[in-house]
Amino acid sequence: MMAVLSVKNLKLYYGTLRGSVKAVDDVVFDLENGEALGLVGESGCGKSSTAIALIKLLPSNVVKFEGEILFEGKNLTTLSDEEIRSEIRWKKISMVFQGAMNTLNPVLKVGFQVAEPLIVHKKVEKEEALDKARELFKLVGLPPEYVERYPHELSGGMRQRVVIATALALNPKVVILDEPTSALDVSVQAQIMNLLKRLKKQLHLSMIYITHDIALASDLCDKIGVMYAGEIVELGPIEKVLLTPKHPYTQKLISCIPHLKGNKMPEFIPGAPPDLTNPPSGCKFHPRCQHVMEKCKVNRPHAINVDGRLVKCWLYE
Amino acid sequence: MGIVRTLAVKGATLLAVLFCVLLLTVVVVGATGLSDKILNAMMNEELRATRQKLATQIKDPEQLEQAMEKIKETLIVAYGLDKPWYVRMPNMLLRIITLDLGNAKTQQTFTGSIKVADIIMERFPNTILLMVTVLMINFILGLMVGVKVATKPGSILDRVLSLYSSISYALPTWWLGMILILIFSFYLRLFPFQGMRSTPPPADPIGSFLDLLWHSALPIITLVIALSGSWIYITRSIVITTAQEDFVTAARAKGFPEKLVLWRYIIRVAAPPILTNLILALPVYLGGAILTETVFGWPGMGLLYYNSIMAVDEALILALTYMYTLIYVACRFVLEILYIILDPRVRYK
Amino acid sequence: MSYLKESLSEFWASKVSKLGIIFLLVVIAVSIFTVATMPLDYGTRYWSNPRYWVENPKLAKPSWVNYFSTEKLLEHAVLPSEFSIPQFSGQYYLKNYFMNYELKVNQFPTFIMLRLENLTYYKSPPTVKLFIERPDNKTINLYTLNVEKPLSEEEPPFVRYADEPKRILLSGETTIAYALSSFLLTEYNLSTNPSEVMKMGYEKIIFGTLVNGSFQPLKGMYHIKVVLSSVDGRDNLGKVAFVVGGMIFGLMGTDSLGRDLFQGLLFGFPVALLIGFTTSVITTVIGAALGIVSGYVGGLVDDFIQRTADIINNFPQLPLLILLTFIFGGKLWIIMLVLVAFGWPSLTIILRSMVLSIKNAPFVESAVSMGASRLRIMLRHIFPQVAPYILSQMIFYTPSAILAEAGLSFLGLGDPSMPTWGQILEYGFKNGAVYLGYWWWILPPGILIVFSAVTFVLLALGLEPVVNPKLRRWR
Repeated sequence: MMAVLSVKNLKLYYGTLRGSVKAVDDVVFDLENGEALGLVGESGCGKSSTAIALIKLLPSNVVKFEGEILFEGKNLTTLSDEEIRSEIRWKKISMVFQGAMNTLNPVLKVGFQVAEPLIVHKKVEKEEALDKARELFKLVGLPPEYVERYPHELSGGMRQRVVIATALALNPKVVILDEPTSALDVSVQAQIMNLLKRLKKQLHLSMIYITHDIALASDLCDKIGVMYAGEIVELGPIEKVLLTPKHPYTQKLISCIPHLKGNKMPEFIPGAPPDLTNPPSGCKFHPRCQHVMEKCKVNRPHAINVDGRLVKCWLYE
Repeated sequence: MGIVRTLAVKGATLLAVLFCVLLLTVVVVGATGLSDKILNAMMNEELRATRQKLATQIKDPEQLEQAMEKIKETLIVAYGLDKPWYVRMPNMLLRIITLDLGNAKTQQTFTGSIKVADIIMERFPNTILLMVTVLMINFILGLMVGVKVATKPGSILDRVLSLYSSISYALPTWWLGMILILIFSFYLRLFPFQGMRSTPPPADPIGSFLDLLWHSALPIITLVIALSGSWIYITRSIVITTAQEDFVTAARAKGFPEKLVLWRYIIRVAAPPILTNLILALPVYLGGAILTETVFGWPGMGLLYYNSIMAVDEALILALTYMYTLIYVACRFVLEILYIILDPRVRYK
Repeated sequence: MSYLKESLSEFWASKVSKLGIIFLLVVIAVSIFTVATMPLDYGTRYWSNPRYWVENPKLAKPSWVNYFSTEKLLEHAVLPSEFSIPQFSGQYYLKNYFMNYELKVNQFPTFIMLRLENLTYYKSPPTVKLFIERPDNKTINLYTLNVEKPLSEEEPPFVRYADEPKRILLSGETTIAYALSSFLLTEYNLSTNPSEVMKMGYEKIIFGTLVNGSFQPLKGMYHIKVVLSSVDGRDNLGKVAFVVGGMIFGLMGTDSLGRDLFQGLLFGFPVALLIGFTTSVITTVIGAALGIVSGYVGGLVDDFIQRTADIINNFPQLPLLILLTFIFGGKLWIIMLVLVAFGWPSLTIILRSMVLSIKNAPFVESAVSMGASRLRIMLRHIFPQVAPYILSQMIFYTPSAILAEAGLSFLGLGDPSMPTWGQILEYGFKNGAVYLGYWWWILPPGILIVFSAVTFVLLALGLEPVVNPKLRRWR
């Protein structure tokens, strides 16, 4: 089956006064049709940077951007800015950002913001677009008359639904969600997760779901990629990765989750996340790995197929 | 109707301000005996006019004096001069509001009237002309230059702007005016020294307009240089802050053209705080206008203010203070209306 | 404490701050120098006292302009003499005072003046005669003064010109016209009447030669002799001085009253510093205190303070400032009072919202739960958080105070008892300095105003990254 999105050797480095930050350092994954891929990892591991790299939303201090992003037969990294802007963004790949209060324009009505992509990209008339917005509101569980409201008149959960509705406006093939629920409280979080699951089934959406919360990812995603220091160290079907993690980092992550039942205490991962301007040599996890070998300090591991998933670890080579 | 309610509250506050200023003025003027002086002057004027009229009718000097005495008594009661100043306050307030303050001591209109109200009404449009022109130029400059610089923070243009803004903020407007006159009128003889029109002004409309332009060039340039610096800087800062917001990134993620992002997501959102700063800058414009008119001999209310102070013309000074407050309150109200229209977050539900 | 150190190093890092500190040190140094060398009542005692300046040339350019032009301007000269050479000419006792003057440039003096100090006589009043010998060896008997007779109650020795020297502006004396008229007759065979002589100008005749119908300056050495002629040998003239008016004077020139602008400008430094600093400190203290209290205590107190602040904030400052200064007089403390009264609201309003967001921070909550009093919390916990902002506002407000005072002075509402830069400009403007091109009167005061204001702006800009961490540079 042809993957909807196929990413190979994606690199994105930013330039800062301290040096270049290797935010995305050789990321590889495939996204199948109708599949939800979860990208999990600690803060600063490069999840969000991967997301914006996919739609080429590069910051002004980018120093390196290379790799292949194969989408519908085209390599997105080779397209011009104008092509990406008018053809790819939102029409084919849309995004749900973290923290909906700040991602909505405070002086425009929410209905208009949902309708805006239609007006701009598809040249639809304003009234017609607003009708579509009302439909989308119903789809995400909002009363249609709320299109007249402003963002500050809605609660956090409602705003997030608006943002999700906006992401669906042009019927994209892929929706990237960057921590869509981390700014919400737990009960609202559950509602949004249910909404996402429903939409995925109803609209047969392909999603990339970025989070630091493995439990949430396990709820929604079919596939999971564990990121560390800009690389995906383990990528595979969710049950396999979570129940039988192969990479030492994944193992540690799973064991960090506290269990309600049983006496097992949650563990922690010793050491600190690496400095992305000066990452460790060889395997980036080696300073914190309990299985570290001499090889690990020198050579970067390749992705190997281990038990139905891809793992980057010298233990398996 | 959130807009209407918010506007009503704002309007009420501003009217309260106007009232407080007037109250303050009336109290000060009363307590220091100034109101006595003014009212006395007005009364004596009226007495003089009455005397002249009566003198043609009553030939006998003693009878005339008796009649004048009676009239004076009635006038004293009418003007309230027989009562202490605080009892006269409401009456005084009304007088100030309607500019019914008698005659000016030394000034007069071009047509020869010396009534305070006439003089002020004659000068009023000249001041408005100057102020509005400068406000518009500055606003547009701020938007154009501020936005342009905000797209490239830290660039050379940005640093030059910071330097320009610091100096412009520290520059006294009136001194800059003097320097410009020194350079452009005295040494280079390019512009007139002062005034609003040549004497005699050109008869044809185009010539008259050009003459006005020629005379207003230096005052306008002075005000723009002195006031634009900090204004552009503030605009730039606000635009930079707004441009870093998440919804701007989100707008780009939506594939919107950069021009749309700039106008609807950056400028449109930055407009309310920019407007707030314009409101805050109003007093500076007023003050600058007063001083600049003085330096350039521009026949507006500012120059009138200066001349009245020199001549210790209380009635005019009182009236002018009121007029300036009125203009200020009116401008502020207009800007507040604009602000409420632009920013839905401040409306009551 | 390390926060403080880090803040200081951040502040010091930018060039803007360094420049601001340098400027500030200059201002402070000059102010200290001025206060140390000039008396506090300088304004009333000297500046506003025309007699103090009467020997200076009026509207003189600064001395250093001569470095920039080939055609040199005439320097001002005050020639004193104390030693006399006594003579006796049979009938009268004579005391001769000699002074020399060299005219080096191709210009005429602007005026000439004779100063006599400390005259004592015992019998009948003496006479004082003034002679000028020109480089071409011609001598003019220019002027004769008959000293005043003693008053009826006076006893010898009679003392004159002791408390206040006698100054005779020779350029305005009509008697000289006669002396010069006869000089013109003998010299050039020119017959003139005194009014024509006055129109020609005394200085031209005394210090020039008639060439082709106009006077050309006669360069060279002039010997000036003042002779005290009396009947009693004990009569004495303590000090004599001859003033030759020049076109340049001092470091900064003079104004239309002959006042040395350098002194006036110098005095402006501490005044500006005082006004700016005091006003902004008081305004900031009041504004900050009210803002913190308003934000933290909340409730009715908050409402009241905010309403008041809002209304005052809406007042147009300059017209009211003008009105109040006009009514109560332009004393310095009144101006400062009004500036403070108008200045505190904006700080209060902003600080209140800052405090509102800090109020709910966990460390404040923990202090409350530990039982700390409200005052203690406000002082110990809230204040340090907003202190950098308060400091930067204080610095930023200083230039507006300086500029406001200058503006008021310019309108003639300033404090007349002391010279400030605004006042110097006011006097200049009133005397048409702008239209007559007296640049040395107009430029320096304004430049100094800008300089002192820019100092504080630079400091405030330098403080910006400390206050607003988003603007810090990454190290």
